[in-house]
Amino acid sequence: MASHEHTDPPSDPALRVKALESLLIEKGLIDPKALDEIIDTYENKIGPRNGAAVVARAWVDADYKQRLLDDATAAIAELGFSGVQGEDMVVVENSPEVHNIVVCTLCSCYPWPTLGLPPVWYKAAPYRSRAVADPRGVLDEFGVPLPDDVEIRVWDSNAELRYLVLPERPEGTDGMSEDELAAMVTRDSMIGTAVVHAP
Amino acid sequence: MAVLTADMVAGLAATGASCRVDESMASRFSVGDHIVVRNINPPGHTRLPRYVRGKRGVVDRDHGVFIYPDTSAHGQGEKPQHVYSVRFTPRELWGDTASDRDSLYIDLWDDYMDPKV
Amino acid sequence: MNGVHDLGGMHGMGPINPEANEPVFHDDWERRVFAVTIATFGAGNYNVDEFRHGIERMGAANYLSTSYYEHWLHMVETLMIENGSISRDELNAEQAKLAKEAA
Repeated sequence: MASHEHTDPPSDPALRVKALESLLIEKGLIDPKALDEIIDTYENKIGPRNGAAVVARAWVDADYKQRLLDDATAAIAELGFSGVQGEDMVVVENSPEVHNIVVCTLCSCYPWPTLGLPPVWYKAAPYRSRAVADPRGVLDEFGVPLPDDVEIRVWDSNAELRYLVLPERPEGTDGMSEDELAAMVTRDSMIGTAVVHAP
Repeated sequence: MAVLTADMVAGLAATGASCRVDESMASRFSVGDHIVVRNINPPGHTRLPRYVRGKRGVVDRDHGVFIYPDTSAHGQGEKPQHVYSVRFTPRELWGDTASDRDSLYIDLWDDYMDPKV
Repeated sequence: MNGVHDLGGMHGMGPINPEANEPVFHDDWERRVFAVTIATFGAGNYNVDEFRHGIERMGAANYLSTSYYEHWLHMVETLMIENGSISRDELNAEQAKLAKEAA
């Protein structure tokens, strides 16, 4: 099981992927039209607005929130979000006593149907190495100081369960519509590296 | 070999490819059990990070039955088994200067753990 | 494997440096790598565990010094050669042809 080739590939990834794509198409192993569809789906259609809708629904509907905590996959699917890298979901709830933060130390596992594709920092060595050992330091770096008496729960998503943080609803948002609430929910608040603030 | 065509993309994206196995089987552990993580160092694929090997934790949740990556990555079969959310204290993982309030949760397969006696 | 990808608890990896308003893809080649990966994965050429292990096998220095989608590119090249779908020679020839056209 060789870990590298005798001849190192040319360093230009653009040329390498063009060559790979051409060859795979030529051999009938990939359909070029599928490639455009895949890109459009994950660049434009699926993203954190999905997760924000889930959070807003949980904030306004206590029964939905309970379903979300009991069976996140089913509750998220109620809103139409499901599938690749979100087949088995777990939602973890923030409270005044508990702050949750999610990481994948081994690679980049992330709940695509609710959050889209992960940002570079989530997939890179600094976050992956430090989140499990120094979550408080990580949150400081993100500008989220937490009181000492808050319990931080770090979730290392090393298996096929995908974790979504349900952030606390901010003060001063009573009477806001679900859409208004969803608009204030950031991607980082659903990873656990931010909290939600009222506008 | 199948080819993914454009009209299949939306369906694939929405359905995904769960690694959950629809098979009920006995679990080796129950919620609340104290476990110790096995010190395994396979040269091949594993989802057991070094920072929890040999450490003591408590089973917090049973997620059900899933494909076992250590065999699945090498064409050695699915070997389905239970996966659990297991809680560790920072002091257990990182030593006496670590937090005594926070916690670390990680998902572990049956084959990654032994009962702590 | 006890590879460098097993990062939990390591020191010295530097600051997190999140990018504000980051685009989904930073380059068109990243889009292509993503799409080719999903297309070959979705067609069943390899499973998710083989995918991850393909990246883990890329060599420690290579892993730490290349970007995320370069990891995916390495993996798809490696797995599609190992499973016999394409050969290293064919891929080299195609790269040489494209390099010549671009020159």
